[in-house]
Amino acid sequence: MVFWFDCLIRTHNRLRLRGASRAYVPVRMPNSPGASLYKQFHPTDVYLVNMRNVKRVIAGLVGIGVLLGVGVRSLAQAPSAADLDFFEKKIRPVLAQQCYKCHSAEAKKLKGKLLLDNRDGALKGGETGPAVVPGTPGQSLLIKAIQWTDKDLQMPPKEQLPPEVVADFVTWVRAGAPWTGAPQNGATVATTQASATPNYAANYDHLRKELWSWQPIANPDPPAVKKEAWVRDDIDRFVLAKLEENNLDPSPRADKLSLLRRVSFDLIGLPPTPEEIDAYLRDDSPKAFEKVVDRLLDSPRFGERWGRHWLDVARYAESSGMSRNFIYYYAWRYRDYVIDAFNSDKPYNQFVREQIAGDLLPANTPAEKDRLAVATGFLTVGPRDFNERNPRQFLMNTVDEQIDTVGRAFLATTIACARCHDHKFDPIPTAEYYSLAGIFASTDEFTGIERRRMANRQNPYSDDHFIKLSGYKAGAESKKDLDDDEVRAQARRALGKMAVAARLGQTYTQPSTPPRPLAMGVQDDSRPTDIRILVRGELDKPGDNVKRGFLSIPSMKDAPGISTGESGRLELAVWLTRADNPLTARVMVNRIWEHLFGKGLVGSVDNFGTTGDKPTHPQLLDHLATQFMKDGWSVKRMIRAIVLSNTYQQAATFDRAKYNVDPDNHLLWRMNQRRLEAEAIRDAMLAASGRLDTRSPIGSPALDLPPIEVRVARINPGEILSNMNYRSVYLPIFRNAVPEVLEAFDFADPNQVSGQRDVTTVAPQALFMLNNAFVTKQATALAARVANSPIRADAGRIDLAYKLTLGRPASGAERERAMAYVGAYFRDPAAATAKPRGRRDDTPRLEAFASFCQALMASAEFRYLN
Amino acid sequence: MLQSAACGFGYLAFADLLTRAYAAEQASQGESHHYESPLKPRAPHFAAKAKRVIFLFMQGAPSHVDTFDYKPELVSSDGKNVGGRTILAPQWKFKQYGKSGLWISDLFPSVAQHADDLCLVNSMFIDNPAHPQATIQLHTGSARFVRPSMGSWVVYGLGTENQNLPGFITINPPAAVGGAQNYGASFLPAAFEGTPISGNAREGLPNIAPAVAASLQRRQIDLVQSMNREMLRRSGGENPQIEGIIESFELGFRMQSTVPDVMDLSKESKQTLEMYGIGDDETETFGRQCLMARRFAEAGVRFIEIAYTGWDQHTALHARHAANAKAVDKPIAGLLADLKRRRMLDDTLVIWGGEFGRTPTAQNRDGRDHNNRGYTMWMAGGGVKGGLRFGATDEIGARAEQDKVHVHDLHATILHLLGLDHERLTYRYAGRDFRLTEVYGNVVKGILA
Repeated sequence: MVFWFDCLIRTHNRLRLRGASRAYVPVRMPNSPGASLYKQFHPTDVYLVNMRNVKRVIAGLVGIGVLLGVGVRSLAQAPSAADLDFFEKKIRPVLAQQCYKCHSAEAKKLKGKLLLDNRDGALKGGETGPAVVPGTPGQSLLIKAIQWTDKDLQMPPKEQLPPEVVADFVTWVRAGAPWTGAPQNGATVATTQASATPNYAANYDHLRKELWSWQPIANPDPPAVKKEAWVRDDIDRFVLAKLEENNLDPSPRADKLSLLRRVSFDLIGLPPTPEEIDAYLRDDSPKAFEKVVDRLLDSPRFGERWGRHWLDVARYAESSGMSRNFIYYYAWRYRDYVIDAFNSDKPYNQFVREQIAGDLLPANTPAEKDRLAVATGFLTVGPRDFNERNPRQFLMNTVDEQIDTVGRAFLATTIACARCHDHKFDPIPTAEYYSLAGIFASTDEFTGIERRRMANRQNPYSDDHFIKLSGYKAGAESKKDLDDDEVRAQARRALGKMAVAARLGQTYTQPSTPPRPLAMGVQDDSRPTDIRILVRGELDKPGDNVKRGFLSIPSMKDAPGISTGESGRLELAVWLTRADNPLTARVMVNRIWEHLFGKGLVGSVDNFGTTGDKPTHPQLLDHLATQFMKDGWSVKRMIRAIVLSNTYQQAATFDRAKYNVDPDNHLLWRMNQRRLEAEAIRDAMLAASGRLDTRSPIGSPALDLPPIEVRVARINPGEILSNMNYRSVYLPIFRNAVPEVLEAFDFADPNQVSGQRDVTTVAPQALFMLNNAFVTKQATALAARVANSPIRADAGRIDLAYKLTLGRPASGAERERAMAYVGAYFRDPAAATAKPRGRRDDTPRLEAFASFCQALMASAEFRYLN
Repeated sequence: MLQSAACGFGYLAFADLLTRAYAAEQASQGESHHYESPLKPRAPHFAAKAKRVIFLFMQGAPSHVDTFDYKPELVSSDGKNVGGRTILAPQWKFKQYGKSGLWISDLFPSVAQHADDLCLVNSMFIDNPAHPQATIQLHTGSARFVRPSMGSWVVYGLGTENQNLPGFITINPPAAVGGAQNYGASFLPAAFEGTPISGNAREGLPNIAPAVAASLQRRQIDLVQSMNREMLRRSGGENPQIEGIIESFELGFRMQSTVPDVMDLSKESKQTLEMYGIGDDETETFGRQCLMARRFAEAGVRFIEIAYTGWDQHTALHARHAANAKAVDKPIAGLLADLKRRRMLDDTLVIWGGEFGRTPTAQNRDGRDHNNRGYTMWMAGGGVKGGLRFGATDEIGARAEQDKVHVHDLHATILHLLGLDHERLTYRYAGRDFRLTEVYGNVVKGILA
């Protein structure tokens, strides 16, 4: 009971938030770190509810088992949601604060035998008669009392209520004194969840019709615009029309160098090379930019960039995290699958279907079958608490994690909120949560780990708990127990080897343990079945059985049935990618937009519900979604269309007048200035130093670790392995042990679906750029690279360093400053005595130049895209 | 500009860096957006009793019936059979201390000297009797989901006093039982994450040691800053991001001297070192960590945790509990005394305890099993009543019975003492408002001073 009532209290808290004088409401501002992290709400609500009283009284109600539902049913007509809302917002809080102290089950001494904590009590009244006569305020003693008209009946006794509150009570009694009901005890609760207090579900029909993201995707005609010449793509029309509506102009086109750097990072996550810069500057043809875009889209680096975006959403990691943190040895197969999918421009609808139900899709070859099996790794790479001893609880936690991920990743819908109660804000009844839960509960997960064995501290890994791919042969499996000294020793050896290799500057190439044909993934359970609702999400409170199924989105007619012999994943996969699903295409084009502009058309990229943001350009969003589907759900074509638009190619230049009209650039009067992601910062340093290894590694260093928990190894594997010169997307991501170089710049928390990264600016980042050995090493390598280039003149060398780091040549003043810096540094007496880590063998001159190169990498310009 | 921007600690330093012309230009243009560190101090919801927290985390679960939960009944029932298990009397004698007469066992003779400052909460309970889950729940409120640590919530709510130091420092955090999840920021911005400091507490923070001599580094930073200021000028106006980067370099530069300075114990008097048990092998490590915590607290760090691991005595209770207590007793007493003489105990909340307690019955003769149903944590300073024994377990210490305090209630109370309403300290994520106490938690009014 307690949990449910607590939720009720939470709703009240929201009310109180408004009444509170200084409640902080955090606002995520992807591009302005601290600027508006907190906005203050001002008091607008007159009611300051004393929550403690509410809570106490409600707890008391539970105690005596009063059934509020009875009161509701005694009304001639069921109260409307608006009536109940009025009661919850205007009446109950006042009752709780002003009356419950003496007139509730919780009262120390019940006064006048009057209970005002339930409707029946109010109707029955106390010693002086009925307190509330529904529909007739004039006969209601409660009203008389709070009006303070009768000297002998004045309530609350000490202070009169404000007249507007009294008026609310009159309105309420006149309306029949609607009172939200409470669930009854026992199994029937589940079926009446929808009628629980407050009645969230009462509003669902309305919400289903009103919630913008649940309405069919339109195909709006591109609007007419005045500045026709600016239009390059229909995208520009939608943007320009809005700008013109607000008397704004778009910004001029960005300069060539900014544009090249922007599009290179956006599409492949790497800076343009000096050769690419020169070639683009030389190319004056009208198709010059288009050629660049097509080159980037064709680059295998594209999938590494965009695949990583998806891995954020897929909360990808190579260990379970949570309380025991076991290694997921074959998670990397899913990572590679994702990268390949983006490189081959797999139609997004197909991509979705494969991740949900790849194992159930037809395959012509064993390789295809393997690939499809690996795709379902999506459902399994999330955080798991293998230490959970109750198998049923473990299953329901896994199911919940999967529903949450699927809901937010594909539909930007917080379905998991409905695990314990009907969704408070979006039209998702608990019953529908359990319809989906039935699908996942009928699905078996293969992570390689057998929970039961782990609990007994045995080696929990066995081939039978992986998905076996083609060519699988039984191999010698380690049977060593987890705490076996030999296993620990083995771990120490493996990590030691990697550490030594890192210290020696050797780059990691591939695991010494070759991968076996095993993978993570899911399969249908042999006995798929519907499951019962769990009241308040609690295992010991099973409610009604619900048929497996999907969300009730009105525009999606004819939801497929799920036959008894199947989990329903295939049907779910199809349902998600149907053309009449109003969410899937919108959500994905919005993600694409967000990665190209730093902000989605819908700001809350993982939440298209009522608590999320509304689209700034709803018509553009629908236009893009329609085009996306028309173009065969091609991600590359969508990206191509966007980056070739004039909207994308605008300069990021500040403009005071426009800024005053639209400071947050909702209308896109310029390109947003954006900070590079952690991976791009690291990769760009490696690219500049010339050490970047662009090959795709085989597997993961995880394969070299024995069956051991990440923590037992005692060494942070991420730290050692960050010495790999592969692209960052290939660094092993163990939960709770993310490589420092990524962690420093807001890497996505692999425990959550993260469509959008935070951008924080803090001192440890500066310290990282100044003092971290990885950075000083890259700076030295960059200095050596420039020194060893055929360029002899200082000015040319400085230009090269600028091009390699900032994607542009240095200005005259910058060259002078650089030379002055190197000279002064060289002459500084300290330079002769102290040398940074990793630079001990350098000549003083090179040392000074390396310091300069490091400054370039540390600069804001290196980290930002214009 | 100075008026329009909310001034954080580093703000003036930042203003120095800009040319006056630029500042004047900005000032003439009315209200502006400026970089504001996410860590800048923020006012609490209401007047706070405690400004900071030092949490002494006893990982592994110390036995409450052998330390701070006096159960005379246990002595008389020694050897009795209860549900198939054998009662094991407290293995150490309890005595009364201070004016308050609190009962404390011989395991903590030095801490006992501060009895009148201690608020023993004898009625703690937590959901799960497994170390990892309970440790994670103690730190984040939830074992089932990955959620921000209480230290992260506190810094999110209050910011921190000293911008040259992290706001949330965790000394010697266990790699096991959830590892970094216990001090992670989860969905809160990464700036609120705890900063781990290794167990020997002599190493500094990551990347704090300057790569080159100070004069060279200053040169380098000046170069970086001139590039950054140029970029700020080029971008033409409002640019909190670049301002933030400029500030971050100045802060970082200062941190390089502040952090080693704060961590340098050599400036402490011999008498102080002795007070913490530094110089004695048995108490050296934890003593240094406690002294470090005091120095961090003094320097304005908001939330400091020290973990001592190894209290999980299923066997060898006698020897191991004695050794553990020996290692922490004097250092903790030293910390309390030191805080007190510096008048810091009044606004520093010291919390002591494990993830749960141990059974009154024996396991393996000289051991006790896990007990999440009733155990003890204590608090001192920071607005709690001293010399108080709050709540109670049953006669033998098996279950919390009277004035039960769930870990959610503990969290609500800690936030309350810091001036934060646990129901108002929320963060909007994934479509709803989250809090440290989920949908639970009541402030334990009975322990408030």
